[in-house]
Amino acid sequence: MADTTRIFIPTLYYRDPIAAIRWLEAAFGFELNSLVTDDKGRVGHSEMSYRGAVLSVHPEFSSPELLGPAQLKSPASLDGASCQFVRVAVESDIDAHCERARKAGAQITQEPLDEFYGERIYRALDPEGHVWVFAQPIRTVTFEEMEQATGLKFSTSLDEVKA
Amino acid sequence: MSEPKRPSLASCPCYRDPKAALEWLEKAFGFEPTMVILGDDGSLMHSEMRFGDGMIMVGSEWSPDHRSPVNIGGKNTQTIHVQMDSDIDGHCERARAAGAEILQEPETQFYGDRAYRARDPEGHIWTFGQTVEVMSPEQWDKVAGVTTKTRL
Repeated sequence: MADTTRIFIPTLYYRDPIAAIRWLEAAFGFELNSLVTDDKGRVGHSEMSYRGAVLSVHPEFSSPELLGPAQLKSPASLDGASCQFVRVAVESDIDAHCERARKAGAQITQEPLDEFYGERIYRALDPEGHVWVFAQPIRTVTFEEMEQATGLKFSTSLDEVKA
Repeated sequence: MSEPKRPSLASCPCYRDPKAALEWLEKAFGFEPTMVILGDDGSLMHSEMRFGDGMIMVGSEWSPDHRSPVNIGGKNTQTIHVQMDSDIDGHCERARAAGAEILQEPETQFYGDRAYRARDPEGHIWTFGQTVEVMSPEQWDKVAGVTTKTRL
């Protein structure tokens, strides 16, 4: 497995994907790599990047043939509900990143704060209600230190989950 | 922490039963758990899974707005695409055997990737892709009648 490349690409659904791409550029500093549109200008696929990682912004989509009962919807179409969020690793100056996002209209649901697991984080909602968590590593913390700080049980194995 | 470096972006799907999801994702898709954090009552607080260079965080429905698809009528606000480098057909068979609903069988797409689409037991949709023929944007624009740009 060591030599293989397998990556996860978060794919987010928006009512207005073009507006979302513009906003993600302005607010979070993501860069557009490619945008595929049809002859009516509708977005078919897009890819943005941030510090070497990629994500896709797509329009809402329903298709009983391709998706069965599942539908791909913006949180804006589901009263703000989301089934996933995206965690973004910020290299430095996360407080400035947060201010830039706020200025662009992000709703900051958690102001920057230092967490026991050695990261400074903030949480934000984008204009269509997708949840984003930004995290900057600030110090190295061991499992033992985290267990002591929280009383939680840390493990790397599923066996302990089964126990 | 001796964990490998975390990628800059990580998807964090919500599950009604995240422990069952951890086990199922390992069995069906071959993801490896690398961190599991349990609360006093044994409930899963946080977890991380790796697949090659990729990482996801599997979690619970941690607020009223964070819901498993099974609790929002099967709808997905985000999905996860997994880009692989080998044996996508074998991967699909393994997933099917573990109970994945294969919404779209592996098929080579106009952009040169072989891809399949699956739904996990709580309704999260996953797409898997493997490049079998490297194509340029000009080539797929021509084949599919679309326009590919790098700027808005």
